[in-house]
Amino acid sequence: MKKLILAAAASLLMTASAYAEVIKVGVVGPFSGPFAIQGKNFKAGIDAYLAEHGNKVGENTIEILYRDVPQPDPAQSKALAQELVVKEGVQYLAGFYFTPDAMAVTPLLKQGNVPMVIMNAATSAIVTKSPLVVRTSFTTWQTSAPMAKTARERGVEKAITVVSDYGPGVDSETAFKTTFEKEGGTVVESIRMPLSTNDFSPIMQRVRDSGAQAVFAFLPSGPTTLGFVKAYNENGLKQAGIQFLAPGDLTQESDLPAIGDAGVGILTTFHYSIAHDSPENKAFVAAAQKAIGNPAELSFPSVGAYDGMFVITKMIEATGGKQDAEKAVEAVKGLAWESPRGPVSIDPETRHITQNIYLREVAKGDDGGYYNKEIKTFEKQPDPGLAAAK
Amino acid sequence: MSITNTSATIIQPLPAASSNWLRDLVGIAIILAAAIVGYFLFPNNLALLTRMIAIMLFVLSLDLVTGYCGVATLGHAALFGAGAYAAGIAAAHFGVTEPITMIAIGAVGGAVAGLVSGVVILRGHGLAQLVLSIAIIHLFHEAANKASNYTGGSDGLAGITPDPILGLFEFDLWGRTAYVFGIVLLIVIFVLLRILVRSPFGLLCRGIRQDPVRVSAMGASVKRTLIKMYVISGVVAGIGGAFNAVSTQVVGLDSLSFTNSAEALVMLVLGGVGTLFGALIGTIVFIGVEDFVSAANPFHWLTIVGALLIAVVLFAPKGLYGTAAALVERYRKGGK
Repeated sequence: MKKLILAAAASLLMTASAYAEVIKVGVVGPFSGPFAIQGKNFKAGIDAYLAEHGNKVGENTIEILYRDVPQPDPAQSKALAQELVVKEGVQYLAGFYFTPDAMAVTPLLKQGNVPMVIMNAATSAIVTKSPLVVRTSFTTWQTSAPMAKTARERGVEKAITVVSDYGPGVDSETAFKTTFEKEGGTVVESIRMPLSTNDFSPIMQRVRDSGAQAVFAFLPSGPTTLGFVKAYNENGLKQAGIQFLAPGDLTQESDLPAIGDAGVGILTTFHYSIAHDSPENKAFVAAAQKAIGNPAELSFPSVGAYDGMFVITKMIEATGGKQDAEKAVEAVKGLAWESPRGPVSIDPETRHITQNIYLREVAKGDDGGYYNKEIKTFEKQPDPGLAAAK
Repeated sequence: MSITNTSATIIQPLPAASSNWLRDLVGIAIILAAAIVGYFLFPNNLALLTRMIAIMLFVLSLDLVTGYCGVATLGHAALFGAGAYAAGIAAAHFGVTEPITMIAIGAVGGAVAGLVSGVVILRGHGLAQLVLSIAIIHLFHEAANKASNYTGGSDGLAGITPDPILGLFEFDLWGRTAYVFGIVLLIVIFVLLRILVRSPFGLLCRGIRQDPVRVSAMGASVKRTLIKMYVISGVVAGIGGAFNAVSTQVVGLDSLSFTNSAEALVMLVLGGVGTLFGALIGTIVFIGVEDFVSAANPFHWLTIVGALLIAVVLFAPKGLYGTAAALVERYRKGGK
């Protein structure tokens, strides 16, 4: 009898020690305000991953905690991340749409023993701020540089750049200019517009007068982009044969219906199109569209979030649910997998994602909707931004 | 704003000095007690409480010009952001990482910004003043955006690593050091401001709010007084900004934004314009509620905050502190 009780007690103890832990993942992003749609895409990507793979990793259960930073606000982002780590006890931090928000949190990681998986923020330098940062999105350099190569291949000798005057815009301008000039082209003029510019006609006139064969543009997605594309058409630049080039932020899927016919023919380079043709992507899009509710709102941040969740589950597997940030990051260095966007891997040096960049053209689909049609692939592109900064 | 006030408020007779000091001591005791309760009740929320302290300093400084002088401004974040950037740039680019020195540099930065914006804003009256203040904040914002070599532009200014305070207390993950540092700063500044607003200079400012023509007829220079107050306000806001830079180790363009200015005004109105306690209470309630509802529902929390503000403006037009004080007053009178 005594033995029986002992055995029962022992087995109870063992199940208790092996009993599943709840592993919390804190996601910081814009879930309200003007950028809410990007936060919704984070959530859709995460939900799609959990719907496909379940919320269990081995014995452990994943729990997601969302925190809202509506606009770039590093102080708020840091306060929330700190709260997530010390109060909620999250083992992983993820999300981060804006670069300053991600930068602000990097000093916390070592002390908190927490890895950070960036699902969007696109300035190259973030990964250098802490060895515990892994990024599953893209950088502005990564998506802008192939455009310069495309332009040269298509015989463009002289180009003009027009960007919004803020961090990512300037990054994009430098990436295009550097690569374009290396390939033997000339950038005749570089225009930087204030972020709040609404009237683009004078700028279009300057583009015309500059004698460039193509205009490379970068603006934050949303209403300003719509105005810019409209001005491009209305001022007859399209008829004049001046090619419109941009990274894919400008033709984000959720903006395409509003851009409409004016957008057809715009060339962009980017890491992900909803229309990417692969079984992985079809499954992902179906799950993510279900998660987001309105299918038209789905766009690129969702795929960064989806792959971010994949990386986090690999980290949990490697550490067996124990909190060990260094081991977790070490485990995903060099990790390669098939993402909805195509084959990708984590560069062991930079901890940034190496991926295909696609040249796409805005096209009208059979159903009357618009989409980014992939017409060329630049395979296995690392981030050129870090090398350029050195 | 100042015009409607003129007829409604009557200058109150000064209470006896001794009871004033007693009230101040009670006030400080309450702040200290609240700080200790906060420390032990929310040991895991110190980052939030620390941010509250920085914003409190900012709202106090806004109260000095709006509440005590009747200057309408939506550009006050210029002073706060100037302090934050001054301290941040000193630390990130010039290696000045001693926290107390950083705070002093922030105070100087804030004072300079206060002087500049004071001189510009005080040229206008009423609506023109408001418009000028908005122009000022946009100019400051754009200047910081352009000078990205120093300020990091829209990427934010990172790489601020303050030394341990007095070489003893290191800034930790839980934010304990930053919190205690902030409380000490807040109490020191609060005491100084209490003395200031009750000084002849403070009374002159209140007089200007109520009737600038009469004050100048008495022979005092309205404009010089207001600019002085603006510089003092700049020192306080600059200290708040610098403290924010020290505690969060990052400065973003948002610290120089119109939104930041407007939010501070909302907190001030919420708590009660023209009282130092109102500024503190408004900040605590606004940021506290914001944090609570945004964690409970990160997707629709702004709606709830909006509803709360409308309720306060409708049912407690003097702000939370003002209304509570009025109630107490009425109760006392009724008791006599």
